[in-house]
Amino acid sequence: MSEENFIDDLKKGHRNAFAQLIDDYQDKVFGKCLSFVPNKEDAEDIAQEVFVEVFKSIKKFKGNSTLSTWIYRITTNKCLEFIRKKNTKKRFAFLQSLFGNEVPLDRTSYFTEFKHPGILLENQEDAEVLYSAIDRLPEDQRVAFTLHKIEGLSYKEISEITEKSIPSIESLLFRAKKNLQKLLLDFYKNNYE
Amino acid sequence: MKNKKSIEEQIDRILEIGNSIDDVKASPFFKEKMMNRLFEESSQEENLIFPWFTPRLQLASLVCVIALNIFAFTNLDSTSYDDSINEFAESYGLLATEETSLFD
Repeated sequence: MSEENFIDDLKKGHRNAFAQLIDDYQDKVFGKCLSFVPNKEDAEDIAQEVFVEVFKSIKKFKGNSTLSTWIYRITTNKCLEFIRKKNTKKRFAFLQSLFGNEVPLDRTSYFTEFKHPGILLENQEDAEVLYSAIDRLPEDQRVAFTLHKIEGLSYKEISEITEKSIPSIESLLFRAKKNLQKLLLDFYKNNYE
Repeated sequence: MKNKKSIEEQIDRILEIGNSIDDVKASPFFKEKMMNRLFEESSQEENLIFPWFTPRLQLASLVCVIALNIFAFTNLDSTSYDDSINEFAESYGLLATEETSLFD
C-alpha cells in the first residue's frame, strides 16, 4: 500500500490503519521519547500522548513532510512539553533569575528518575551526568543535540523535524557541545578537585 | 584528584555516550493499550447527546443565564411588581376585598 493510501485510511479513521501505524512506529516513538526523557514509564506515557495526537490531528496533515517526519515532530514537541511542565514544578527558576545565581549542575534536581533501559549499567552514572547537563541547555540546542548525538539522526533529518535550515542545526550543535563541555567541566571540577 | 587531561577525556567520552545506547522496544501491551484508548475515547465522543454543545457554548450559555438573572434582579422594582400583581388579581377577581361572603 502506498503512503498516500495509508494516510487516506488513517484520515478515514480505519482501525486497521491505526493498528499498522502503531506496529510501524511504536518502537521508534518510544525510543525517541526515551532519548528526551530517560524514564521508561514517563516515555511510555508520552508515546501514548503522541499517538493520541496523531489520531486527533491526522485530518490536518497536509503532506508537506513525510508521515514519519510529522510523527517525530509531534514526538519532539510532546517531549519538550513534558520536560517544561516537570521542570516548572521542580525548579524555582524565577528565584534563580531574580538573584542571578548560577545553580551548579546537580543530578538530584533532574526532572525525572533516571531509568533508561537502553543504557548499560557501567554507563549509567555518566549518562545521568550527561542528561543533567542537557537539561541545562536552551531548548533548541537540547533538541538538536538529543536528536543528533543520542538519537543518531542526520542533520537533514533534524532540519526536517525542527523546520530549521541545516546551517542553523550545525550552529546549534556547535553551541550545544560548547555549553555541555563547560557545564561538565564545572561539574567535574566541583566534584573531584 | 583528577588532572585536567583526564577530566577532558572523560567529558569527551560522556558526550559520545549516545553511541553506546541500545535500541529499546515498547512494552508488548503498548499496541493493545493504545488501540483501546484511541477507539474507546472516540466512540465515547460519538455517543454524546448534544455533540454540538461544546464546552465553549456551555460556558457562553451559562454567562447569558447569569447576566439575565443579574439584569432581572437589579431592575426588579418591588412597587411596580406589587402593582402588577394587584392589577392581575383585579382582572381575575382574585382580590380578597372583592370576594362576597355567603354571610353578608
